[in-house]
Amino acid sequence: MLSNKPNNDKVLKIFSAIRCLSRDQLPRYMEGRLTDVERHLVEQHLTDCDLCYDALNALEKEEGTERYQDFTNKLQRYVQNSIQPVSHVQKVAQYTRKEKNKEHMLTYFWIVAFIGLGIGSVYVLRGHMRNQPSVRIMAASLPKKDSVEEQVATGVPLVTAAQNDPVPAPAPATTAAGTAAKPVATPAHVDSAALKRAAALKAQQKKAAADSIRKQTLLQKQADSLKKDAADKAAAQAKEEEKKPEPKPEQKPEQKPKEKEQAPPPEPVKKETSPTAVNSDEYLYKAAMVYQQQGNLNEAIDRYKRIESVSSGKYVEMARYQLAICYRSKGQGGKARRMFREVIRMNGSLKNAAQQALDSM
Amino acid sequence: MQQQLTNLSDKELISRARKQLDREAEGVLMDRYSHLLVAITIPYLNSQPNLDPNVVFPALLQRLSASLKTQTIYKVNEWLLHIQKGYIGKPEKNTPFYPSRDGRDLLHIENMVDKAATNIIDRQDLIVRLEQALQRLSADDNALITQFYLENKSFADLTAATGLSREKLRSQLKAAKGKLAKLFMNQGYVK
Repeated sequence: MLSNKPNNDKVLKIFSAIRCLSRDQLPRYMEGRLTDVERHLVEQHLTDCDLCYDALNALEKEEGTERYQDFTNKLQRYVQNSIQPVSHVQKVAQYTRKEKNKEHMLTYFWIVAFIGLGIGSVYVLRGHMRNQPSVRIMAASLPKKDSVEEQVATGVPLVTAAQNDPVPAPAPATTAAGTAAKPVATPAHVDSAALKRAAALKAQQKKAAADSIRKQTLLQKQADSLKKDAADKAAAQAKEEEKKPEPKPEQKPEQKPKEKEQAPPPEPVKKETSPTAVNSDEYLYKAAMVYQQQGNLNEAIDRYKRIESVSSGKYVEMARYQLAICYRSKGQGGKARRMFREVIRMNGSLKNAAQQALDSM
Repeated sequence: MQQQLTNLSDKELISRARKQLDREAEGVLMDRYSHLLVAITIPYLNSQPNLDPNVVFPALLQRLSASLKTQTIYKVNEWLLHIQKGYIGKPEKNTPFYPSRDGRDLLHIENMVDKAATNIIDRQDLIVRLEQALQRLSADDNALITQFYLENKSFADLTAATGLSREKLRSQLKAAKGKLAKLFMNQGYVK
């Protein structure tokens, strides 16, 4: 077995791959300047490799190896020259591309950063503007004062004119019917009814919250009744002229229907004009309420703020409460909450209502 | 870089030149075979005076470089010879290179032997099978191969002993090796 081994290994040698002849192996082989082992390897390779065998034959036919050496040198130089610059250029191009990429990434980063900063600052600025103290807004609204009062004044006169009659009536329709039917019965009730109404009005004032719908309808009714009133008056006068002979009984019923007809409006109106109406705070407050109920929240807020800054006593509290409600319906929860809290802090009559509103927010 | 590349095998250089478009690897490969290219081209330059070495070699290199990227190359020497012959024979036509069946057989066995170098079991198996194939070879071929490969006799010794020319001797040896490879492969298929 042991004696076989070298022989065995040699079998594998038949198929072992051998590299092609190197540049100086070729002439050395031709000149016989190789060791036995090297020569054997070369010959083994020559058996397989046509290229090397052709090269060997070609060189053997040449007289000298000068040309071979010369051409080989030139070719190798040529290869080197054509490869080196290209590879250098490639490397430079790769490097510059990398650098450019880096720069691009940097610029993208800064652009994104600046955009983010811009958006953030705009957001912060807006928030700041929204939360600014009311001083500026109040200052802006102050010059309007006169015009507002004018508006209020012009808006109310109709009402005030009608209010001068203290006589109430349940409804215009019934009064119209009642004028002809019960002329005598009414006069006796007038005073008591007036007293009752005064009490009711006072109660309502205390409530301080008037329903806009009711108000509006009442205003409308009032307008209607005024018209009717005018028409009735005309009719009544005509009647009066016809029935002059007996004036007293006639006039009384006449006046009463009038009073009755005029009555419906006074209910809402009196709130504004009743004894306290002298107070300008209440006036302002009512006007603001009207704006609020018409849905003109900004205008209402302006008014309330003015009340808050100008007047004193319970109107400040009420105005704050309404301000809070306005803010809440405008969707400015933070301000609304702040207002409610202020109302609570004032510890007035609206404290409980404010607390409830705050809890439900 | 250059120094590292020169130590790589042909196969590795080719794959680098292809996959990474590494011009340096390509250059090293061309450099490695440039002297053989020169040697086999010199006779044509001598016989055909119209061929200018300043034109022929760059053109040859270009053609080699182009085909390096597209063709299957098992053995660089075969491929190089084919391209060179194609260029000298028909400069206008670009004949593609296909490795021969025999060449692939030889390559396959060479790879097997290469792998077996580190695996004793494979190696023993391979030796047994090779010896079996050798036994089935004709007596002449068997004797020739035994003398040349196993007894390390040189071309000169053999030509002196047999009286054949070197050319003839080489072709006989090559043929015998081819037959052995075929026997070995068939043996592998039969097994």
